[in-house]
Amino acid sequence: MAVRTAALCALALALAGQATARPVSYEGGWTLIEETDRQGTSLWVHYTLNPELSLGLRSEWDRQNDVVLNTVQATWLVNRWFGENYQANVYAFGGAGLANGVGNNPADPGPAAYAGVFADWETRRWFTSYQARYSDGTTVNDQFMQAGRMGFAPYVANTGAIHTWLMVEVDHRPDNPEELGITPLVRLFKGGALLELGWSVTDDQPLVNFTYRF
Amino acid sequence: MLKPLVFSVLLALAFPAAGQDHSAHDMDHEAHEHAEAASETDTDAPTAAPVAFAVTPDMAAALDAGGEPVAVDVLGVVCDFCAKAMNRTFGRRAEVAATYVDLDLKTLNLVLAPGATLPDGEITELVRKSGYRLSAIRRGDAAFEGGRIEIAAS
Repeated sequence: MAVRTAALCALALALAGQATARPVSYEGGWTLIEETDRQGTSLWVHYTLNPELSLGLRSEWDRQNDVVLNTVQATWLVNRWFGENYQANVYAFGGAGLANGVGNNPADPGPAAYAGVFADWETRRWFTSYQARYSDGTTVNDQFMQAGRMGFAPYVANTGAIHTWLMVEVDHRPDNPEELGITPLVRLFKGGALLELGWSVTDDQPLVNFTYRF
Repeated sequence: MLKPLVFSVLLALAFPAAGQDHSAHDMDHEAHEHAEAASETDTDAPTAAPVAFAVTPDMAAALDAGGEPVAVDVLGVVCDFCAKAMNRTFGRRAEVAATYVDLDLKTLNLVLAPGATLPDGEITELVRKSGYRLSAIRRGDAAFEGGRIEIAAS
């Protein structure tokens, strides 16, 4: 029981910090997302059914606790605000699937689910976002995480050029030994490809995120 | 459970509310290297001043072949993902010979295939399917009211 509880706790932590980089695309568009942060690594592919809804398959690996989660995730664009120089979005998302231990973790597969919100506001110079998530499994109490990010583009680039952003992400995971994480990062953006490289100064762990929009 | 909630409030206060911050007013100005005619306001109102029409080599070829230019002012275009969404959505249409989204000008620039038509309502719907919203459509000579900008590559 202790092993399973630990696995689900670890899973909940691994679920944190997932919704980034426009989780809903254009109608008929595919998006591939890889995310590695201080807790885990995930690979996610989603298809946009319409401009308000995407469906995807996600596989996540909690490196610290050797837990893998495979889910189906739906993301709904609740609202998008348009301005001549800005865009703001509020998304709701949820996923459900199975988690199991890997490596030295003998935890048996079990159901797990999560739900959350993600919001961002950006111009071509400034970026800010916030997300929160609750997750739950068969034998674990509610888990919560939240994260905020602020970013600044040192120069404004036109279509097709390399766009560079300097960002700081602050995440709060009450169940993590290191509750508060601070991760400065650089975002490089060109065409359909987005790469983020950072380092958690609180956990001494890398951040490597990659998104490609087909 | 109280601690996460308190922290949530602090984080929420630390970040500006979506859509309420107009501090971007001056931010994009320096990027308008070739967009003197582009609007420099930060309101939701449609652009008043004529905006230049951006022409890539593919678009120039399509214009030379007799294609109709269509300039579309689009709201919320802030990154290359926006450009890709519209280029892909419109590029799939047989009526469209060439397309280019200019972030500086905030426009979707189209050249229709010779003899093809694409009604305003259809353009509006395709922009919506891309995830955005348009504020104006200019066709033919009106597309060039703000001048013409040659783009080296799309």
